[in-house]
Amino acid sequence: MGMEIPFDVANIPGPEMGEVAPPEVIGNYISSAKRPLLVVGSEILRDDFFLETAIEIGKKGIPIAATGHSIRGFVEKGYTENVSYYNLHELTNCLRDPSWKGLDGKGNYDFVIFFGIVYYYASQMLSCIKNFAIDPLIRAVSIDRYYHPQARMSFTNISPKMEEGYKDMLNRLVSSVK
Amino acid sequence: MEALKKGRIFTISDLQNVRISIGEIVEEEREWEPMGPTPMPSISTLRGWDFTLLNRYKPFYAPFCDMCCLCTYGKCDLSGNKKGACGIRMDAQHGRIVLLACLVGCSAHCGHGRHLLHDMIKKFGGDVPIDFGPEVDVEAPLTRLVCGIKPKTIRDYEKVFDYIEEQIVQLADALHTGQEGSYMDFESKALHMGMLDSLSKEAADIIQIACYGMPTSYEGGGPDVPLVDVGIGTIDMTKPVVLVIGHNVPPAADIGDYLTENGLEDKVELAGICCTSIDTARVYKKAKIAAALGRQLRVIRMGIADVIVVDEQCIRADILELCQRVHSPLIVTNDKAMHGLVDRTDDDADKIVDDLVSGRVPGVVILDPEQVGEVAVKTVIQMDKKRKGLNLILSDEEFTYYVNDCIQCGNCTLACPNGLRIGEANQSAASGTIEPLANLFDLCVGCGRCEQVCKKHIPIIDVITKAAYPQIKEEKGRMRIGRGPVWDSEIRDVGAPIVLGTIPGIIAPIGCGNYPNGTKDAWLIVKEFAERNYIITLTGCMAIDAALWKDEEGKTVYEQHHGRFDAGGVLNIGSCVSNAHIHDAAIKVASIFAGRPLRGNYEEIADYILSRVGACGVAWGAMSQKAASIATGFNRLGVPAVVGPHGAKYRRAFLGRPDLKEDWKIIDATDGSEVYVEPGPQDLLVACETVEEALPMMAKLCFRPSDTDRGRSIKLTHYIDLNLKYLNAYPPDWHLFVRTATDLPIAKKAELLKKLEDEQGWEIDWKMKKIKEGPIRGYDPSFNPTNLKRLIREKK
Repeated sequence: MGMEIPFDVANIPGPEMGEVAPPEVIGNYISSAKRPLLVVGSEILRDDFFLETAIEIGKKGIPIAATGHSIRGFVEKGYTENVSYYNLHELTNCLRDPSWKGLDGKGNYDFVIFFGIVYYYASQMLSCIKNFAIDPLIRAVSIDRYYHPQARMSFTNISPKMEEGYKDMLNRLVSSVK
Repeated sequence: MEALKKGRIFTISDLQNVRISIGEIVEEEREWEPMGPTPMPSISTLRGWDFTLLNRYKPFYAPFCDMCCLCTYGKCDLSGNKKGACGIRMDAQHGRIVLLACLVGCSAHCGHGRHLLHDMIKKFGGDVPIDFGPEVDVEAPLTRLVCGIKPKTIRDYEKVFDYIEEQIVQLADALHTGQEGSYMDFESKALHMGMLDSLSKEAADIIQIACYGMPTSYEGGGPDVPLVDVGIGTIDMTKPVVLVIGHNVPPAADIGDYLTENGLEDKVELAGICCTSIDTARVYKKAKIAAALGRQLRVIRMGIADVIVVDEQCIRADILELCQRVHSPLIVTNDKAMHGLVDRTDDDADKIVDDLVSGRVPGVVILDPEQVGEVAVKTVIQMDKKRKGLNLILSDEEFTYYVNDCIQCGNCTLACPNGLRIGEANQSAASGTIEPLANLFDLCVGCGRCEQVCKKHIPIIDVITKAAYPQIKEEKGRMRIGRGPVWDSEIRDVGAPIVLGTIPGIIAPIGCGNYPNGTKDAWLIVKEFAERNYIITLTGCMAIDAALWKDEEGKTVYEQHHGRFDAGGVLNIGSCVSNAHIHDAAIKVASIFAGRPLRGNYEEIADYILSRVGACGVAWGAMSQKAASIATGFNRLGVPAVVGPHGAKYRRAFLGRPDLKEDWKIIDATDGSEVYVEPGPQDLLVACETVEEALPMMAKLCFRPSDTDRGRSIKLTHYIDLNLKYLNAYPPDWHLFVRTATDLPIAKKAELLKKLEDEQGWEIDWKMKKIKEGPIRGYDPSFNPTNLKRLIREKK
């Protein structure tokens, strides 16, 4: 663990900034959630591996909100079991409302995992969750290759040269989600 | 003291030691329309309408910064919606920041308009008539609507600007510590500011159209406006090139006049960037549009311009440094952006030219636009000779050196607004594959932050430009020149199809070039909707960027589609200030087609537009504070807008919740009954992550409660089809927009009925192919939707 430079270097929100954490720690953190939600964006389409990773997490019983045009990938893979399209702005607007019924009609979530979303858009939505989804608290983490200071926990910035290392981190994270 | 009326006798006699001061003489005008309820509204006048909007489209905040740093109590940490030392909470603070952004944006348009009015009165006098030809009777819909004024000459805009400026000051006052504390009221004020912004834009464009004879409904105007060359490749660099940048056209117009008067039109190129270039093309037929705002830095760094002339707004703050780098003298023409240069307005033109050409001064300030033409043209002719042989494009050797020198540290990526992987592209170029680096040229937003953090001091902008130069030289687009107002006669023809929904919508691509993925998205948005018979009305940088791309036949969207305000039309309305004519088109649908009273009647017209006019703005690369106030102005008038992902940084959105039934209760004005309706439009301001997501979103935001079943069927067809095309899936909410089986797209009716039965549990009468139970409401052709109780005709 340690301090990191935000991926968009000037994106320093204030005194409350997220921790950089290894995959197992984030995986365990996710496992502690009662109602987690995986929120994926268009960047998961850049490589089949990321789409497969999202599906693996989905198969562990964590529902998926597919934002941007990421739903396209799930349909092409034939995995639509617990996946729903949602616009990220509209989804975050719902998340900040404790009375929202959720994607399954069973209520709001207590934990969101951001994955494959355009950095600056994700950062703004994580900011909304951090500042306004507070009672009850929704915990938010990022498993992207960027350090996201608006998330409670995030990976560090990962260079394109370390792409294989990043994939390994995701594999470790998926394994640690119970 | 009673106002003096023109033509009335005013007798004074037998007075001693009395000083008489005569102010304005009020010209009594014939009653053109009875005055409505809210002429020249103040901050609180339309608060009720704002709260109607804000209760349905609740403000959503995504803070950019968790702190408030505006007073000496602070810094205050507001994270977790805490209160600061003054008592303001995070949500209200962000409403305040939004109001501040709209204040800055509106002030830019108002300041521009007032400045223009001063210059035009000085040049032409105040009696220039506002006459837009035989097809435009309602010449100034926003001015009539907001102020209750029917302007006859440009002088009438003195009163309009007096009103706007007074309101701006009052709204700015509300920003002070210890004033407003409610986010809802901050947003109401932001909406008020947005409306003033719209009015300012209309005023500015009307003044310049009237004074410069820009296209109207006289011959050659409207749909028949000519095309103008767009793109860096269209500029003849063998000639002297004057490059104009900004938004306020008089200096550029004076350059065009000087070239014409001196027979130099074919000897000197007059090219521009951003809205000044659009407006220059409306007044000078040989003008060329070099690029939109996003390429400003790169066009300058390429060294194309022998002289650069700037006016106001969207000029790089480091413009002087850039000009010095490429040895181009700078002429600044507006006191709002003087860049530390000496004011030479009163100096002899030849002396100024000599100082600029000799390099004794890097630039000058000339505040009288009528002096700019002579100085700019005389300077550019001499500078062209001096700059001949100057090649600012990197040599092959320099290029190779730099791409090999890159150590892929990633600092440039962390500094890049789009997180572009420049190091990877450099590495690829170093190994002989230049394409990834060349591709960055269009994806780059042209800020230059990357160069400042490069440990190896690589001129990254120049390296990318070099890689893309073969394509840049061939960048040759065509765009209709800005046509200005939509004609009343066009509104009469399309008013019914728009309100009934058979023209599925008006899509308005507007604003800046801070795109997430390059300029091609602008082209795709226009192409996709024009081919689907929406009406496309563009302004500003998106109008320029959409012209850079061509179809298989080599035609731009402007060449491919007609320019009428009608189904499938692609209209360049003009510059940023011209986009008031898009508001105006919506207003005219309400007033001309539907006969709603216009004068001082904002709330009713906005209510009509929100319920019936399927229009949607898209500011895909919205960047500036002006874009914030423009969108907010559209929103108050009942027009939703989609922004690109960078738009999430505006911190605020207006989002509806289809799952909250009570939010969608409106009134049937026919009898006052309350009706739960489908979420149309669902949001007033929303960001999309990718253009693939934005296309169906725009189609969705064109649904309106007033749609007929035929219109709804057409809108549903496009909504579903765009989802299938770009998201490969049915939209999860399509059923919300189905009221009756005749709302369904005819070709898919049976399939969709089956989906409604299987997926939504609706009851279908298969024999009659009708829906028995399921929709939010049934289809009632006589439904007269409104949000205003005062419009109920007969109470139930």
